[in-house]
Amino acid sequence: MNETHTHTQTPFFADKQEKLAEILSRYPAEGRRSALMPLLWEVQREERYVSEERMRELAEIVGTTATEVKGVMSFYSTYHDQPVGTFHIQVCSTLSCALAGSDELFDFLSNELGIVNGETTADGRFSLQKVECVGSCGTAPVVQVNDTYFERVGRGRCQHLVDALKQGELPPVWRERGGDTVGAAKAEPLQKPTDVREG
Amino acid sequence: MKVRVNDVELDLAPGTSAIDAVFAAGGDVPYFCSQEYMSPIGACRMCLAQVGAPRKERDGSWVMDEATGQPKIFWFPNLMATCTTQVMEGMVIDTLSERVKTAQNGMVEFTLINHPLDCPVCDKGGACELQDRSYEFGDGLSRFQFDKRHNEKHHPLSDLITLDRERCIQCKRCVRYFEEVPGDEVLDFIERTAHTYIGTADHGLPSNFTGNIADICPVGALLDASSRFRGRNWEYDHTRTTSMDDATGAAIIVDARTGRIERIKAALNPDVNKTWIDDGARFGHEYVDSSDRLTTPLVRRQGKLEPATWDEATAFIAERLKGLSGKDVGIAVRADATLEEGVAAMALAEELGTGQLDHAPRPAATLIGNQTATITDLATADAILVVGDLTEEAGILDLRVKDALKGVTPPTLMPHGVPIADLRLKERMPRRREILAVAAPYRVDLMRHAGTAVHYPAGGEAAFFRALGKLAADANAVLVEADEAATGMSTAQARALVARLGAAKQAVVVLGGLALTRRESAEAARAFIKAVGAKELAVGPMANSYGLELLGVLPSHERYGYAGMLEGSKALILSHLDPAQDGEVAERLRGKDLLVVHDIFMTETAHLADVVLPAASVYERDGTVVNLEGRFLPVRAAPVDAGSSTDLTGVARALGEAMGKRLEGRSVRSARRVLKKRFDIDFAELPDTGLLPRTKGRGPAKALAGEAPAATGNVLVVPSMARAEYLSRNRHLAAAVGGNRLRVNPEDAAKHNLTAGAEVRLKVGGTWRQAVVHVTDGVPRGLMTIPSLPEQPVGLAQADLASIVVEQVRLEVAS
Repeated sequence: MNETHTHTQTPFFADKQEKLAEILSRYPAEGRRSALMPLLWEVQREERYVSEERMRELAEIVGTTATEVKGVMSFYSTYHDQPVGTFHIQVCSTLSCALAGSDELFDFLSNELGIVNGETTADGRFSLQKVECVGSCGTAPVVQVNDTYFERVGRGRCQHLVDALKQGELPPVWRERGGDTVGAAKAEPLQKPTDVREG
Repeated sequence: MKVRVNDVELDLAPGTSAIDAVFAAGGDVPYFCSQEYMSPIGACRMCLAQVGAPRKERDGSWVMDEATGQPKIFWFPNLMATCTTQVMEGMVIDTLSERVKTAQNGMVEFTLINHPLDCPVCDKGGACELQDRSYEFGDGLSRFQFDKRHNEKHHPLSDLITLDRERCIQCKRCVRYFEEVPGDEVLDFIERTAHTYIGTADHGLPSNFTGNIADICPVGALLDASSRFRGRNWEYDHTRTTSMDDATGAAIIVDARTGRIERIKAALNPDVNKTWIDDGARFGHEYVDSSDRLTTPLVRRQGKLEPATWDEATAFIAERLKGLSGKDVGIAVRADATLEEGVAAMALAEELGTGQLDHAPRPAATLIGNQTATITDLATADAILVVGDLTEEAGILDLRVKDALKGVTPPTLMPHGVPIADLRLKERMPRRREILAVAAPYRVDLMRHAGTAVHYPAGGEAAFFRALGKLAADANAVLVEADEAATGMSTAQARALVARLGAAKQAVVVLGGLALTRRESAEAARAFIKAVGAKELAVGPMANSYGLELLGVLPSHERYGYAGMLEGSKALILSHLDPAQDGEVAERLRGKDLLVVHDIFMTETAHLADVVLPAASVYERDGTVVNLEGRFLPVRAAPVDAGSSTDLTGVARALGEAMGKRLEGRSVRSARRVLKKRFDIDFAELPDTGLLPRTKGRGPAKALAGEAPAATGNVLVVPSMARAEYLSRNRHLAAAVGGNRLRVNPEDAAKHNLTAGAEVRLKVGGTWRQAVVHVTDGVPRGLMTIPSLPEQPVGLAQADLASIVVEQVRLEVAS
C-alpha cells in the first residue's frame, strides 16, 4: 500500500545539497533521524513555516514518515505548520511579564494590528502570539520579534516598536539595566545586535 | 529467581517483568499501556505496586533483618510501574496494601477526568478495559465538576478506522504498534500535554495492518469503521475460527449478530499470527452479507433458471448423470475448500468413477517441499530470502519476518498466557536489516525493511535461482552478464547473499506465488535451497492449497486437471469457481451436457449452469484447513443466515441420497472418520492453535503439473491482500485500497493515455478485468500489475493494451 508521493514543488534542499550534507554529517548514519530538528529549522527560517510537502521531503531525507515529522514539529510550539508574518511577534504571558503588564501590552498590539492570538494579518506582515516564558523575567515585559528580544516594553516603547515595524524595519535593540525611565525614544542601543534576521 | 507476590512464592525466569510475576501468582493489577508482543513503556501508570528487594553486603551476603532473621526487604521509596520493573532475586511485590489501592484509585480518577461518559453509545462498551478497570479499581464517583476537554468525535483516520479523540487516554499502544509491528510509522502523537491527540500526516494510514489498532485500543477511541454502531459486544456470537483469507491460517474471531457477520477481530495463536491479522482478513468479509447471496438451489427448466428445492435439484443432477459415463464428469473445488469438503469431492469422484478431480488455483509446482520451515522458524531465522510480495500475499509472514529482524525470540508462555510485558522488547529497536533479502519483479513493501532489495525481470524466477545456484555450488564462480541481469545483483552482491544464507544457523527462503507458477522455477529454487542448506516456506495461493494437495484432491492424470476438464469433460461440477469470466471458456461451458455450479453468488458461470447450488461461504463452514507450514487448523461456522446454502459435504449428502448412495464425506463427521484414518488426528478435537504433525502425512507422490501461465506477457498478475473477486462487495476495504489496482509506470501511463484514478476495463488473457489506474514508479517500464483472481492466478499474462476502455476518469483533488 505504501507509495511514495510525487512532489509538485521543487524540493527545498534541491539547491542546498551542501548544507544538507553538512547537517546530516553531524549525526551518525544510524541516527539520521536526529537531523530532523536542524532540518526543520532550516526550512522554517527560509519559508517561515513547514508545509506538509516539506514534511514529506524531510521524512524521506531522514528515513521516516511524514507523521513522525509532524509529531516532532507539533511538540515544539516554535515550529509553525501555518505561514506566519514577516514579523512574528511573540508576547510573553508568564508570571513576571504578566505582573509587569504584558496583558495590556498584548491587547494594545492586538488593537494596533487588528489580529488576535495566533492570527496573521491579511497582508502577511504581522502575526501575533501569546507565548510562555521566554527566559527574560528580569527585564519584563518582553516582546520577541522573530529572533530578537525587546525588553521592558512599556506602552510608549511598544508604539515605537509597532511604528518601526509598520515601516518594515526592525528597530535597533535597546537593553538597559534597572531603573530605566528614559523611554524608548531616548534609550540608546547598547550594541547593534548581530542576530537580527530580516524577514 | 525467587519472587514473592503478596503471599505467593514464585520461581520465575530472570528477565520476567514484575507485572507478569503478579499475574503468574494469580494476582491482578490494572494496566492500559502494556500489550502482549509490544514493548512495555510504563505510560499509563496504572500498574503501580509496592516493590521491595533485599540488599547485599559488600561481601555478597544478604543484609539481614535482626527481628526476623530473614534478609531485610528494602522497599522502593515510591510505587513502581510493575510493567517496566524487572524481577530480582528475593523481590517482594505488594499489590494489596492501602497505599497501592489509593494510588490505583487515583490513577483511574485521573484517567477518567477527560474521558467522556458515553459508554451507553460506545461500541467498546461491555468489552472496554477502561470500563472494566473503573468498576474494579475506581471510586464510582467523580469529583471533577468542570467541563471536560472536548475534541473531535468522528475523525476518519482512514476508510477502515474511525478515531474518537475525546475517548483517547494516550496509552500509546497504537503509536507503538505501528512502529514495532508492521514498521509503518503512520500514527503519532500530535501536540503535547493536555492538547495531545493521535493523528497522522500520512492520510488514509498507508499500511496493510491498520485494523489491529482497533483490537488493542483499551478504550473506544479507535474503532473498526465497518462495524461502528452495528451491535453491542454482548449481542455478538463470537466464533473463534481460522481465517481463510490467505494461506497463513491466522486465528480470528468472527462476531455475528442476527445472522450477519458484523466484524472480525484477531485472535491469539502464538505460533502463527500472534495477535495480529492483516486488513484483508479483517475487513474482507462484507461480501458474505450481500443481498444477492444465493439462498436456494436453481434448476434450468425451459432454458430458465428457476428456484427449486434441494431434492429437486439433486434429483435433476442424478438423472442427468445417469445418461453420462462417470469418467466424463469433472469435479473442481476452489483451493480454500476444507479438508472435509475435499473428502466429499473425492468420494463423489470415486462414486462416479472419474479421475477428473482437481482444486484450483493450483500452482505448477508442489507446495509440499522437503524442508518446510515453520512460521516460528521464519520468525527466528538469521538469514531470510523472500521472493515475491509477502505483504500482499501472506501478511502474517510479512510481520513475522519483521520479528526476525528484531532478533527477539518469541516469548515463553506463562501460566496466564503471553507475557504482558516482555522486557526484551523496546521502542525503536535496532533492526537487523542485513539478514533480509527481498527479490521481486516490481517494488514491494517489504523492500523498505530489507538490507538487500533486488528487482529481477518478470517471469525470471527460474533464471534468478539458477544464477544464485551457480554461486551456491561454487562460491568463487563469477556471474556472467546475463546472470547479473537475471538476479538484479552484481556478482559481489549475489555472492554475499548466498554466503549469508549458507553460513546462517537458520536460513529460510520464502517462495511467493510468483516463484511457484512454473515448475522449472520451483525446481531451480528448491535446488538452490538444498544447496545452501536452508528451509523453505512456499506460499500457496489459497487457504487450503497445502491441505488439498496433501489430501490428494488431484486428477488421476495431468491432462485431467482443472484446465483439462474445462476443455474435455462432458459434465462439470464446480465449487466456488467461475471460469466463465474468460469468454472462450464460457463458450466451451455452453456445450456441456451438465454444468453444476456450487457458489454463493450468481457468477458468470452460474448463469450458464443447469443447476446452481447455494454454497456456504468460508465463514459458514465447519472443517479443517492446513496452512502453508503444514499446520492443521480448525475452521468453525459462524451463525450466518444464508438460506439453505451448504458446503460441499452437504452437496455430497444430498447428491448421494439422490443417487441412492451414502457417500463418505456426506457430513463433516463422516469426512473426519476418513481423515482420521488418513492422518491419525482426531479433527473434532483439534486445538484452537492447531496441530503441526511432527511426521507429516505426505501427499500422494504424484508430481502433477498444475496450470502454468504464459512465459511472457505485458501484465503481471500479482497477489493482493484484498481479494479481487469480492472487492466490489467489500465496500470499506475497496475504498481503503483504492479498488483493484492496475499499477502502471508513469511513462507507460503517459504512453497509453492513462490517468491516475481512472476506472478502466481491459482484457487480460481472455478475461475482462475492471481496475483503477494507479500510476507508480514501483513497477518497471513495460509491465503493469493487476491483482489475481482464483481463475487468473499469479504470473505473467498478455493484455491487449489497445483494448483498454476508460470508463470513468476520477478527478484527483490536489491536497
